[in-house]
Amino acid sequence: MILRVQLCKGEDARFISHLGFMRAIERAIRRAGIPIAYSEGYHPHPKMSLAIALGVGLTSEAEYVDIELGSDMPVADALKALADSMPPGISAVSACSVDGKAALAASVEYASYRASGATPEAAAAFACGAREFMARGSSIARIKTKSGEREADIRPLVREIRAGAELDFTCACGGRAHLRPLDLIAHLGEIAGAVWDLGGCRISRTGLYFTEGDALVSPMCARCRDYVMAGGPIPRS
Amino acid sequence: MNIRDMLDRKVLPYISNPARYTGHELNAVRREHGDVRASILLAFPDVYEVGMSYIGFKILYDVVNRRPEWIAERAFAPWPDMEAKMRAEGVPLYGLETFTEARKFDLIGFTLQYELTYTNLLAMLDLARIPLRWDARSDGDPIIIAGGPCASNPEPIAAFLDLVVMGDGEEVLAEIMAEVAAAKQTGMGRSELVEKLARIEGVHCPRLPNPVRRRVVADLDGAEFPRKFIVPFMEAVHDRIALEVMRGCSRGCRFCQAGMIYRPLRERSLPGLCDLADSLIGSSGYEEISMLSLSSADYTYVRELASRLARDYGPRGVAVSLPSLRVDSFSIALAREVEKSRRTGLTFAPEAGTQRMRDIINKGVTEEDLMSAAGDAFESGWDQVKLYFMIGLPYEADEDVDGIGDLARNVLSLGRRIASRRGKSGRVGVNVSVSSFVPKPHTPFQWFGQNTIEEIISKQARLRDRMRVRGLSVSFHDVQASHLEAALARGDRDLAPVIQRAMELGCRFDGWGDQFRADLWREAFSELGLDPARWANASYSYDDPLPWDYINMGVTKDFLIREAEHAVRGEITPDCRKGDCSGCGACAGDVRVRLADAAFEKGAERP
Repeated sequence: MILRVQLCKGEDARFISHLGFMRAIERAIRRAGIPIAYSEGYHPHPKMSLAIALGVGLTSEAEYVDIELGSDMPVADALKALADSMPPGISAVSACSVDGKAALAASVEYASYRASGATPEAAAAFACGAREFMARGSSIARIKTKSGEREADIRPLVREIRAGAELDFTCACGGRAHLRPLDLIAHLGEIAGAVWDLGGCRISRTGLYFTEGDALVSPMCARCRDYVMAGGPIPRS
Repeated sequence: MNIRDMLDRKVLPYISNPARYTGHELNAVRREHGDVRASILLAFPDVYEVGMSYIGFKILYDVVNRRPEWIAERAFAPWPDMEAKMRAEGVPLYGLETFTEARKFDLIGFTLQYELTYTNLLAMLDLARIPLRWDARSDGDPIIIAGGPCASNPEPIAAFLDLVVMGDGEEVLAEIMAEVAAAKQTGMGRSELVEKLARIEGVHCPRLPNPVRRRVVADLDGAEFPRKFIVPFMEAVHDRIALEVMRGCSRGCRFCQAGMIYRPLRERSLPGLCDLADSLIGSSGYEEISMLSLSSADYTYVRELASRLARDYGPRGVAVSLPSLRVDSFSIALAREVEKSRRTGLTFAPEAGTQRMRDIINKGVTEEDLMSAAGDAFESGWDQVKLYFMIGLPYEADEDVDGIGDLARNVLSLGRRIASRRGKSGRVGVNVSVSSFVPKPHTPFQWFGQNTIEEIISKQARLRDRMRVRGLSVSFHDVQASHLEAALARGDRDLAPVIQRAMELGCRFDGWGDQFRADLWREAFSELGLDPARWANASYSYDDPLPWDYINMGVTKDFLIREAEHAVRGEITPDCRKGDCSGCGACAGDVRVRLADAAFEKGAERP
């Protein structure tokens, strides 16, 4: 049985690295007594996989982990045990069981983010930049890489931007195509002639999505059963 | 803006590894300072992931925080990028739990694990905006305490400390906290309180020339030990449960300070350890538990403990590990049972290359022991073996240095022979790590000067020449750093201005190869007209007064002299676990060698 859990990474945990986040989840699973399966061999590893790494400094309402269980456990019981075992700053908010293999990372195509905390002037400038960006057919941006910078057309990677006091956007995420939120924000700032103050603002991941045809769907919808939210079972919408 | 907001907005987004500075880990204890009667900031003068690896630090955190009327928070040395940012933004040193400014604590307690952290200690005081020297502090400043192995000669940093704690810290810290809480109620002044605390057994006050006897916990089973460890989000250097199976070591290696100052050997009971392990595994979720001590393979019930832990927790994904292996077949058999993985390689510490030299240092290991242990390791499927040696030991001759190369080559060819039966002789590798001997206070070698820098460099070159063999790799400890370590270890009060000057010049993290600035240290010494060789290379006679003479760490000077004389003649002193008492002086009253009680294991009442 594959247990899929939705996790939130809050303010107190936003500076934890992806590896640290993974270790924290693994240890919470062990504390919770979830019967996770281990790989064979000299060095057994717990069979779990996270969807997509989140940048250091970001919070998230939409982290997902697939946990392969060695023996079945009711989803509601597993979620309750996990929710009670999470370290400060991380919470388990919903869970379901998934048919077939764990394929989170391979299936994620899009992510949505919310950037908040800009001054009203900066927010207005970014709104202009966003409108101009979306009107373009292509937009060459400078992308930060480990070794420096490269240029790339990021327009095809952005599906939607809603700009107001906050900046909500949905962009490609995953193995096939990926855009980091800070690269988009920096590019919009360049278009608008405004600077995004890294220290004063907050970026949160608000969703991760698979695609069905042209539609975005939650990882908790595709081939899932027994969906439960922390606090008790609710009818699936 | 408070510290928390400053960090969030102005500091942490711009520095490396911000999770070092945010706290909020599982099992961290947060309490309002207004609700408690006494507070201490436990300060570790190295970076977070190093400090979070020390069991002593966790014990002290628990001793304070298990009482709801006290609070202990943690602070670690900020990495240079963080320190620069804190200074630029005006953020002072703070406690990780509640982001309370360091100055607001009643006490700041530094752990002194290593001499090359002294500049970090001063940088932390400076970041805390507390006067560096005790004589510049006044009412309102926290009381600065230090403890740990380097406290057994605190003289080089005595000018910066109000109090120094000698020996085991768990009981004495509770006594100190109680006194501080009581003094706050009566409104006692700072200097009066310092003097009062100095009357607690095991506490020394550098401004009062009081002789001091170290504290020692007689029975570890009766002592407080945490049931919950803080679980870091960031990977600590030793990121696992450390189950302290015993304290002290009965082997009596003459170079080993820990082996002298933590005497006598005190084992915990097997049921006690199983109970602790169960709590710690359940409350942490860690994937590894390590049996910790100076020589864990010596623990009376090591095999029973290891197999119980593996049996009970292996199915829950918890691996058992042994941090230190003895050089013998028993240890290999144990490692084979316990450590499922053969990937990491095994480490042995013969320490010296010839039997003559191993007898001088009382390392009871023979070449046959090493060859049979290494042979067993290769037979069992390990093909990487690491060997630890020291050069510059007392009475060392060229043959002893050459012996290290011979021994390493013998181990390598043995490994090749065994592995070739599996057709894998090419995979065998022997890594040799060679450090330079640093004479330490309270050891039989405390009177010996360290080899000069030139002598060590020439011995390293000699050895390197003899190790140019495929499959053999050798690494040496930094000569300048070892020289400084020796000067600080054997130093006196004249060194305080040098350490302060080095800190002002920018020296930090001197124990880190990539951060150590030998040039700035040289500048600091020469500005003050001093030479580290005066302390590092000085040889003393038994009658010469030593800076740490006023500190009684348990073993007597007579014993150390006897051991030094045995060393001259290459005479072995037997392991006191086996009943041959060498009269070291560490046992007194309740304090004695305690082995896990066989009768108790069978369920009988303890005597």
